[in-house]
Amino acid sequence: MQQDKIFADHVSVAYEKDDESLLAVDDVTLSIQEGEFVVIVGPSGCGKTTFMNTLAGLVKPIRGKVFMDGKQITGPSAERGVVFQQFALFPWKTVFENVEFGLKYRGIPKDERREIVRKYIRMVKLEGFENSFPHELSGGMKQRVAIARVYANMPQILLMDEPFGALDAQTRTIMQEDLSEMFMMEKRTVVFITHSVDEAIYLGDRVIIMTARPGKFKKIINVTADCLIPNRRNLGYDDVVNLKAFRDLKRELWGLIKAEIVEKRIL
Amino acid sequence: MTEDAPKTLLYENGAEGKICLTNILGNLMVETRKIRSRKRVILSVLSVIVVLGGWFVLTTVLRWVPPAFLPPPQNILTDFFRLLNKSYVGHTLIGHTLVSLQIVLGGFFLAVLIGIPLGIMMGWFKRIEAIVDPMFQLLRPIPPLAWIPLSLLWFGIGISSKIFVIWLSAFVPCVINAYTGIRLTEPLLVKAALGLGVKRQWDLLREVAIPSALPVILGGVRIGLGSAWMTLVAAELLASDAGLGYMMQMARRALEPSIIILGMLIIGILGAIMARGLQMLEKRICPWVMDKER
Amino acid sequence: MSMKAFGPQFLERIYREKVVLSLSSVLGFIFCWYLITDVLGLIPALFLPSPEKVFFTIYEKIFIPVGQSTLFGHVGVSLLRILVGTTIALCLAIPLGILMGWYEDLDSVMTPIIEVLRPIPPIAWIPLAILWFGIGLGSKVFIIGIGVFFPTLINTYMGVKFVDPILIKAAQTLGAKDKDVLREVILPASVPLIVAGIRIGIGLGMMCLVAAEMVAASSGLGFLIMLGGDNLKPELSITGMILIGIMGLLADTLILAVEKKVVYWKKESQNG
Ligand SMILES: Nc1ncnc2c1ncn2[C@@H]1O[C@H](COP(=O)(O)OP(=O)(O)O)[C@@H](O)[C@H]1O
Ligand SMILES: [Mg+2]
Repeated sequence: MQQDKIFADHVSVAYEKDDESLLAVDDVTLSIQEGEFVVIVGPSGCGKTTFMNTLAGLVKPIRGKVFMDGKQITGPSAERGVVFQQFALFPWKTVFENVEFGLKYRGIPKDERREIVRKYIRMVKLEGFENSFPHELSGGMKQRVAIARVYANMPQILLMDEPFGALDAQTRTIMQEDLSEMFMMEKRTVVFITHSVDEAIYLGDRVIIMTARPGKFKKIINVTADCLIPNRRNLGYDDVVNLKAFRDLKRELWGLIKAEIVEKRIL
Repeated sequence: MTEDAPKTLLYENGAEGKICLTNILGNLMVETRKIRSRKRVILSVLSVIVVLGGWFVLTTVLRWVPPAFLPPPQNILTDFFRLLNKSYVGHTLIGHTLVSLQIVLGGFFLAVLIGIPLGIMMGWFKRIEAIVDPMFQLLRPIPPLAWIPLSLLWFGIGISSKIFVIWLSAFVPCVINAYTGIRLTEPLLVKAALGLGVKRQWDLLREVAIPSALPVILGGVRIGLGSAWMTLVAAELLASDAGLGYMMQMARRALEPSIIILGMLIIGILGAIMARGLQMLEKRICPWVMDKER
Repeated sequence: MSMKAFGPQFLERIYREKVVLSLSSVLGFIFCWYLITDVLGLIPALFLPSPEKVFFTIYEKIFIPVGQSTLFGHVGVSLLRILVGTTIALCLAIPLGILMGWYEDLDSVMTPIIEVLRPIPPIAWIPLAILWFGIGLGSKVFIIGIGVFFPTLINTYMGVKFVDPILIKAAQTLGAKDKDVLREVILPASVPLIVAGIRIGIGLGMMCLVAAEMVAASSGLGFLIMLGGDNLKPELSITGMILIGIMGLLADTLILAVEKKVVYWKKESQNG
């Protein structure tokens, strides 16, 4: 059998809150193959961020283990780049310096760094803003910088936690198209979290629906493998959304999530 | 002038722009703001004139207020020029000013040099915080100038006793702000740095915690400077044989309020200049901080 | 809330260890003080009295007068001065600040005068204050008042000036008149800043109190501190310092409690 890129083996994560233990992720098992785009959807507070932080190595599970290429993950590493919903740009660094940040710590010489940074700033369409500070950029531009910063760092896995959650609907659509395009250009393994069903179906090769807290996997849908929406990656967002296959899938997914929300009264 | 302005705008936009209502309205708003700011300048100037004029009239023309109570404004000016090259209680005005500056700057820089690193360490290392912080909390409520008698006892009446007290007064805000600044580091940014491959604590401190704390640290430096000036005046009023505070104290004994006010003005102006300098430095060091946050 | 993380040390919590370290640090401090003064006699009592001696001085002076009165008397006098000075300053600064924030013209008139006076440290007013009001209550109240006045004024002004315009617009579109906006929106919204200003002001006022009493007074805690230095009785100075420290702490605690009451609607700052 080909080795999994990521393998989460019966993982549970808990937080300690005033001497009480709060189970956020409950016994989750998942394997992700190289080059796959995996999307996790679920009601808010269900443990999506927690699970992603576990993959990133920022949080330690209380039970179970997480492996990357067969090696256990014990801490954060540049092999797994994270894009946060709140951008997490360094406000005291310019766009260029932000993108350059990780490269410095990989010991890449200065000239080469400049080339790489240029390339990825071009990829996220931000030429001309190299010397701006984050506070001078709009939300969408900030997130582009954050994406360029992670892409430039050449991680084997991209972890994106509701990266477009703070953006307005129009910017969001464009960012989704651009991300899809980037994914086609440079195949990376992506784990993407969202609470938007549309976004999940548009982007994901595989869509995982989580239950309300404590988070478990409720259902996994293989959009690409089962060829549920043919030719999706070559179409624009609007075209995909209007396909019948998309709408059917959306209805099914939304039904599952809504049931979760209504049942457990997490409104 | 006011009527011309909208036309200018239309003209400017004329090449390609549409003549639209919002443009005109917007321009009118800019214009009213201009009028308002002109009115502001006029009122401000008037207010200064009225205060100075009233002061002059009360003391010089009507002579309702005796000069031993409040000297006429021109006396302060003449005293200023007189004392520029004539010595008063031991030094000229410049001499006293230099003595004061030397003490303030000495104590202040020592405080910055020791206080900021200590505060950063307290913010970063829990154990150092646990050891140093309680002592800090014990000593903090005591106003620094209350240390003057002890300091005199320990260091004598010379310059070192004053530098010690001023050091203390600027030291506390430097430490507290550096400490708070580091503690307020956004955990998300730490996570981001870790995820981008930072491994050593030192790099995390250097690249994330210190820059993010810098505005707060500089704020502490500014508070420290103000505190230093205040403590200097107290120390010089109490025990000194030179300096602006000493000059004022002597002038009080000799019933020369114009020299007292002169001293107050010089202290105020020097303090304001140094605060302004620090502010400009802040802008240079932290270009990413937006003005409204300052 | 704690989180099992691999992050740096300061993301975690080492609570018990902290308590132990803090306690031992304070005890260690007092013990060292005791050691170098009483036990080893490294430092003569003229320089630094032992903690024991300070303790007994405090105890003794509760009954035996220093100068004109006992310790209680001195604390009372200082308290009176700060109360009167603060009250007067607050009564002037808060209304003036609100009016300056509300009426642009008044702002234009007052700002240049305030900007000239503000950079002068309140303590630099002491000689003039003594000349004007003598060495009695008047001069102290004046100086304390100046110390409290400016921070309170500035914060009140800023509080009024920088109320979120959207709140004002909301009130206006809901039918509020100017004076309603002032009462219903501006005042409550600026209270946090006003209270913060009062807190800074009272801290400054305490310093002014001590300084004024040190320069010219025959009673009060500042007088006690100065007397200790003049008579080579550092234990007296330290007594005064401890008491003024306690007074400052109590005042601060009081204001914080008031703040909590008045600004109940504001979320506590997350990092406490
Ligand atoms: N640092 C923390 N400490 C304690 N509880 C937390 C912490 N972070 C998240 N939680 C709790 O864990 C649960 C899952 O949170 P999270 O993973 O952020 O959910 P999601 O990202 O799906 O919205 C929530 O109930 C949340 O309140
Ligand atoms: Mg989340």
